[in-house]
Amino acid sequence: MNAATPWDEIERLFHATVDLPPDERAVLLASATPPLRAEVESLLRTNDREAFDLPPVHLAADLLDQNTGALAPGQRVAGYEIEELIATGGMGEVYRARDSEANLVALKILRRHLVLSPQAIDRFETEACAASALHHPNIVRICESGDSSAGLFIAMEWVDGPTFRQLISSTEVDAALAVDCCEQATRALAAAHAAGILHRDIKPENIILRSDGVLKMLDFGLARLEGPVRLEPESMGSSGTISGTLSGTLLYMSPEILRGEMATTASDVFSLGALLYEVWVGRHPFAGDTPLDVFEAIECREVAAPSTLRACIPREVDEILLRMLDRNPECRPGAEEACAVFSRFSERT
Amino acid sequence: MDSQGEVTNLLAAWGKGDQNALNELMPLVYNELHRMARRAWTRQQQGNTLQPTELINEAFLRLAGAENASFQNRCHFLAVACTAMRQILVNHAKSRHTGKRGSGGVALSIDDVQLAVNQEAAEVVALHEALTRLHDLDPRKSQVVEMRYFGGLSIEETAEALGISVITVNRDWRLARTWLIREMNGETA
Repeated sequence: MNAATPWDEIERLFHATVDLPPDERAVLLASATPPLRAEVESLLRTNDREAFDLPPVHLAADLLDQNTGALAPGQRVAGYEIEELIATGGMGEVYRARDSEANLVALKILRRHLVLSPQAIDRFETEACAASALHHPNIVRICESGDSSAGLFIAMEWVDGPTFRQLISSTEVDAALAVDCCEQATRALAAAHAAGILHRDIKPENIILRSDGVLKMLDFGLARLEGPVRLEPESMGSSGTISGTLSGTLLYMSPEILRGEMATTASDVFSLGALLYEVWVGRHPFAGDTPLDVFEAIECREVAAPSTLRACIPREVDEILLRMLDRNPECRPGAEEACAVFSRFSERT
Repeated sequence: MDSQGEVTNLLAAWGKGDQNALNELMPLVYNELHRMARRAWTRQQQGNTLQPTELINEAFLRLAGAENASFQNRCHFLAVACTAMRQILVNHAKSRHTGKRGSGGVALSIDDVQLAVNQEAAEVVALHEALTRLHDLDPRKSQVVEMRYFGGLSIEETAEALGISVITVNRDWRLARTWLIREMNGETA
């Protein structure tokens, strides 16, 4: 606007003209000084436009990001002292923290006020419950779970080491390590299945290789005995649309899960098979550019024998991996059986 | 409650022209509103929008107490609360706009809905900036917009709180809105 035009004159002329028909407006405007006239005419143009309003402003759920973000180092939650934020998800965080005896734990916190659906709380509690029921060296141990001022929490054993995602993407895994990983991972899954628990969300992010070589399976958040796998709220973006999370998980879904059938121990075996195939070959058996390509690959693409892609892969490994990836759930080996194959093989190497 | 007495005293002191009282009042009101927004949201079903004005009224009852609050105190409180609400909403829009959410491995989906959300947030921030410029030109009009838009107050409530007539609020609101939209569109005479 023109600084030379006094605001109160603009105001007076605007109000005097705004409700008048065009011809009467013109008369009044004509009597004003050119800068005043230009200024008011421009305001009237804005006023007359049809789509005329201020942008909407909402108090929305994600308003809560403000001030409610990460807990600060030194803060205490349910007797644990926060050291560092290590991961953030849609509705919570994972911290490195110490218990009262200064032992390291991973503290997973579900921010209650960020939770929009009862299913998310359900999932969180399932994780706490399912994993606490499992005592196995290859399954992350839950120390405690409950409610705190910061939200629902799960304190679990601290595992220091790369996830399989990091492992696969950084190096070619050598054969001895690969066979060891296969053995440990199938052993963990066999233990869960023996306890009547399905994992249902096996993917490279959910398995960690601790620095001393012990493999740990985690995130039993979808674990349940029966029922179709639903799209959980966490796999939906904040806007309610499907985000990258889903396509990430999609790669490890068995054909029967994609068809909406019940999860079984065999579907866990398939997911783990796809993951272990990737460990050996460095490439996902069903990789595709789009989710549709991945769907198609899981449904119909012939899986190349691992040995055709990496020379050092022994025949037994070839066979068991291909069986784990069989489209027919009934033809897949149990986790226990797969574990037996890998351990026989690892003894020989 | 301690905070009630404190807020009431600060409101009274501010009413007498003590600017420090306002400085002390603002964070109390800001935090209370923010806390209430959070709590209220968890009680709501997804999809319901909360009205800022409901929160402001509730905050007044909590912070100043219902019985001993004077009309004057209430007017002063509304002014502070609407400014605090503006800050809350603008900070929120800014954080949303920059897309700074969960730095973990979860990719943000850039789809139509997300773009619309970003767009909306950007507009709220642009409005806030335009409103700051309007304040230099005409403080009362910028306060009318703040109360109506960010505080969700009605024309009548705004008139009452500012001690001006309904007709004046109407006129202020109309011109201010037009001026702001023109500013935000980058149009000038």
